[in-house]
Amino acid sequence: MAIAGADPLAAYQGLLCGGLGALCGGCENPALQISNTIVFVTPLITTGIAVALPFRAGLFNIGAEGQLLAGAVTYTVIGIKLGNGPAPVVIPVALIGGMLAGSLWAGIAGVLKALVGAHEVVTTIMLNYVAQWLVRFLIIGGPLQAPNGFSASPPTGPGARLPTLLPHDNSLIIFGLPSSVYRVHTGLFIALAAAALFAFLLWRTSLGYEIRAVGQSQRAARYAGVDVRRTIIVTMLIAGAFSGLAGAIQIAGVDHGLTDKYFSDTTGFDAIAVALLGLGSATGIILASILLGALHAGGAVMQSDAGISANLVLVLQALILFSIAANFVGAIRRLLPFGRKPAALPPDLPPAAGLMSESATPTVQT
Amino acid sequence: MSDERLAVDLRGITKQFPGVLANSNVDFSVRAGEIHALVGENGAGKTTLMNILYGLVHADSGEILVDGKPARISGPRDAIAHGIGMVHQHFMLIPVFTVGENVMLGREPVTGPDFYDHRHARQAIQELTRRYGLALDPDARMGDLPVGLQQRAEIVKVLYRGANILILDEPTGVLTPQESKELFGVLRDLVKAGKTIIFISHKLREVLEISDRITVMRRGKVVGHLTTKETDEESIATLMVGREVLLRVDKKPAQPGAVTFKVENLTANSDRGVPALKGVSFELREGEILGIAGVEGNGQSELTEVLAGSRRVTGGRVLLGDRDVTTFDARTEREAGIAFIPEDRRGAGLVLSYSIAENLILGRQRSHQFAWHEFVLQLNAIWSWARRLVKEFDIRTPSINTAVRNLSGGNQQKVIVAREMGTHPKVLIAAQPTRGVDIGAIEFIHRRLIAERDAGTAILLVSAELDEIRSLSDRIAVMYEGQIVSIEPPDAPEERLGLLMTGGGAPRVGAA
Repeated sequence: MAIAGADPLAAYQGLLCGGLGALCGGCENPALQISNTIVFVTPLITTGIAVALPFRAGLFNIGAEGQLLAGAVTYTVIGIKLGNGPAPVVIPVALIGGMLAGSLWAGIAGVLKALVGAHEVVTTIMLNYVAQWLVRFLIIGGPLQAPNGFSASPPTGPGARLPTLLPHDNSLIIFGLPSSVYRVHTGLFIALAAAALFAFLLWRTSLGYEIRAVGQSQRAARYAGVDVRRTIIVTMLIAGAFSGLAGAIQIAGVDHGLTDKYFSDTTGFDAIAVALLGLGSATGIILASILLGALHAGGAVMQSDAGISANLVLVLQALILFSIAANFVGAIRRLLPFGRKPAALPPDLPPAAGLMSESATPTVQT
Repeated sequence: MSDERLAVDLRGITKQFPGVLANSNVDFSVRAGEIHALVGENGAGKTTLMNILYGLVHADSGEILVDGKPARISGPRDAIAHGIGMVHQHFMLIPVFTVGENVMLGREPVTGPDFYDHRHARQAIQELTRRYGLALDPDARMGDLPVGLQQRAEIVKVLYRGANILILDEPTGVLTPQESKELFGVLRDLVKAGKTIIFISHKLREVLEISDRITVMRRGKVVGHLTTKETDEESIATLMVGREVLLRVDKKPAQPGAVTFKVENLTANSDRGVPALKGVSFELREGEILGIAGVEGNGQSELTEVLAGSRRVTGGRVLLGDRDVTTFDARTEREAGIAFIPEDRRGAGLVLSYSIAENLILGRQRSHQFAWHEFVLQLNAIWSWARRLVKEFDIRTPSINTAVRNLSGGNQQKVIVAREMGTHPKVLIAAQPTRGVDIGAIEFIHRRLIAERDAGTAILLVSAELDEIRSLSDRIAVMYEGQIVSIEPPDAPEERLGLLMTGGGAPRVGAA
C-alpha cells in the first residue's frame, strides 16, 4: 500500500471504521457504517447457508449466485405485478416466489447430479452464467427494462418493500443523521431466522441426519435405508431456497428492483468463503458473514478516506481472507464453542489406534 | 533348523501415540531360521511393533538389531536393505498387471533406453519360484488369480527384493483352509531355505500349528514368551486377554420353530454386472442359526446385500412369513423386522464421524420411536435408548456422544450388534459379525447371537471363519460360485466343508 502511495494506517482506519464503526475519523458516522455493514451481511448469511448445507451432504454448491439472481428476478416480477397490494400479503408471496425460483435453479443441478451424475460444481457454475446473462437480457432491452430506457427494471410497488428498521423520516435525526439514510432493514431478522432454521434442520431433524449421513458415507446411508439420490435433490432444493431468499430480500429491502449492479454482484461467491470460514455451522456462518460484510463496507470507506484504488481494496480483502483461511481456521475452531468439538478420548482406545490397526494400510486389492 | 543366533532383536522399544502407549519397553527377539508368531488382540501393539521394524513408524526409544548388528531403520527402504520384507494383510497389488509386472514394480529390469525387459523379468521370477517351490505363472493377470496365489505373488515380490526375514501380517485371514495349508507348506520350505519368518496372527490354532516360538502382547507390553511345543490354546488366550476366556461357545441344542424366512431361487448380479447369485434357496426357522460357509467372493456379500435391500435382484423371491419382501428397500425391510449386521463395519455399518447415539439409530432415523412425525428427532428418546444399549451391550466408551471413530474395532462392532439386536428383530442377518474384533468382543458377540437365537430370532450367519460357522450354526449351508451346494450338519468334518467350499465333494441329497 505504501508503494501505491497511500497511508497504510489511514487505510486500515478506514477499513475498521467502514466495517465495524470503530476508530472513525471526523468525517465518518459510525452508526451509518454499521448500518451499511448489516446490509451487506444479510444476504451473506442466507447464501452462506446455501453453500454450507450441500457441503454437509458432500456437495459443492458454487451456484449460490445464480440461485440468488433467480430469486431476485422472481421477487421483482411479483413485486411489480402485485406491488400495489397489501404488504403483509405481497411480501410473503413474493419471498416464497423468490425461494421457489432459487430452489428450481439449484434443483436443476441436483437432479442432474442425482440422475446422470453430472458434477454439481460444473452445472452450478454454468447456471450462474445463465442467470447472469438472463438478468442482463431482461433489463437491457428485455421485457423487464424500465420505460425510461435505463438498464434497470421498473421499481417494485410499495407493497413489496420490506420496512427499514428506522422510520423513513427526514426530520428524525439519529446519531447526527436523518433516519432515512440508514438502509438497515427487517430482512436481517429473516436471515437470522433462516440461520436458526438451518441449525434446526441439520441437527434436530431426520432429514438433517440423513443429509449429514450422505455427506459422510453414502454406503452407510444407503444401508440405513436413505434414498441417496432423493436426499441430494432435496438438499439442493433447500439450498436453492436459501439463496433465492437472499436475492428476494435484496430486492425487497435494498434495491426495490433489478439494477445493473446485479451484473457484477458477488454475494453468491463470497458465500463460499462464508460457509468455509464458518465451518458449516449456523453461528460460524453469521460470524463469517459479519467479517465479509465488514470488509465490503469498510472497503468503500477505505477507498475514499485513504485514497486507495478500489481494485487494491479488493486485493487487500482477498489477502485478509486468505490469511484467515490459511492460518486461523483451526484456532477459531478451538476457541469458539460452536463447530464439532473433538470428542473425548475413551481411555482404552484413542484415535491413534488407527495407526496401529491393520486397516490403516491402504488397500489396493483384497 | 533354528539356532541361537538372533535374526531380529528389538530391545526396549517404546512408542507413544497421542493418548496411547502403543509399545512400552518391548523386547522381541527372533532366532534365525525359525517361524516366530506374534499374537495379541487388536490394539495390543503388534502391528505397531512390526511397523517399527519395517521402518513405517519410528520408535521413541529402544534399539533394533538385525543379525546381531545395530540397524538404523528410518524407512522401508532401509528395512529392505537389511533384508526385511513385509507381506501386508491387504495386498499391495495392481490387479490389471501380470504377476511379473507386479513383482518387478519399482525395480523393473530395463533394456535399451527405458523399455521394460519382459524376458529378464520372467527369468528372474522363474528362478525364484523354482528355488522356493512356489508354483506361479509370471504372465498371469493378477486380478484373475485366486487370493491364495495373489498372496504367493506378494511373497515372491518380497523375496525378489532380497528379504531374508519375512513379516506376514495376518496372512490366513483371506484364505480357505486348503489355501492356508498350502501357505504353511510354503513357509516351511522357506525356513528350510534359510529364511526367518515372523507370523502375526490372532488365530491360535494356526499359531500352534506353524510356529516354533510365540510372543504374546497385551496393551503395548510383551506378556509372554512361549515355546510352541510347551503351550496350548487356552494358556495363550488367557495371556492375550488377561483373564480366562471361554473359547468354546456354550449352547443348548436349538429349538427351531416355524419357517419365518424363505429365499427362493434368488438371482442377482455383482457390481461388475455378472451373475453373482445363481439361484439361491433356503429356509430359515425361528430360533435357529443357519451358517453360510464359503470362500469369500462366492456370492455371500451379494446375498446379504440383496437380503438387506441394498442390491437389486434379477429373479427369485424373498418371503418374510407370508409377506413378499423381495423388492423392499432397506428401510422397509427394517420396519418389517429384518435386521442386518453388514460385513463392512466401517464403510456400511457405521457413520464414523457420528456419535454412538447417532449411530444407534442409523436406519431408524425416521421411526416413530425416534422421530416425531418422521421428521423432528426426539433427542430424549434417542439418548435414553443409547444409554440403555451401551449398558446392555457393554460398549466401552466415556459417553454416548463419543464419535464411533474413536472406539476400538470391538466396541464399534458392539454398537452395530446392539443397534440390530436392540429391536428384537424376527430375522437377523449377520455378515462377518466378529471380523477383526478382539477375543473378548468375539466371546461377547457369540453369546449374544446364541441368546438371540434362544429368544426365537431366526439368524443367518455369514462368515469366512469356518470355526465360527461350525461352533455357532445349527445347520451349515456351503456356498460356491453363487449357489448353495450343500446343507450340512454342524458337526460335518472340516475337510468335507473345505472340499465343498472349493467346488468338490458330493452334496448331501435333499439339501435345501
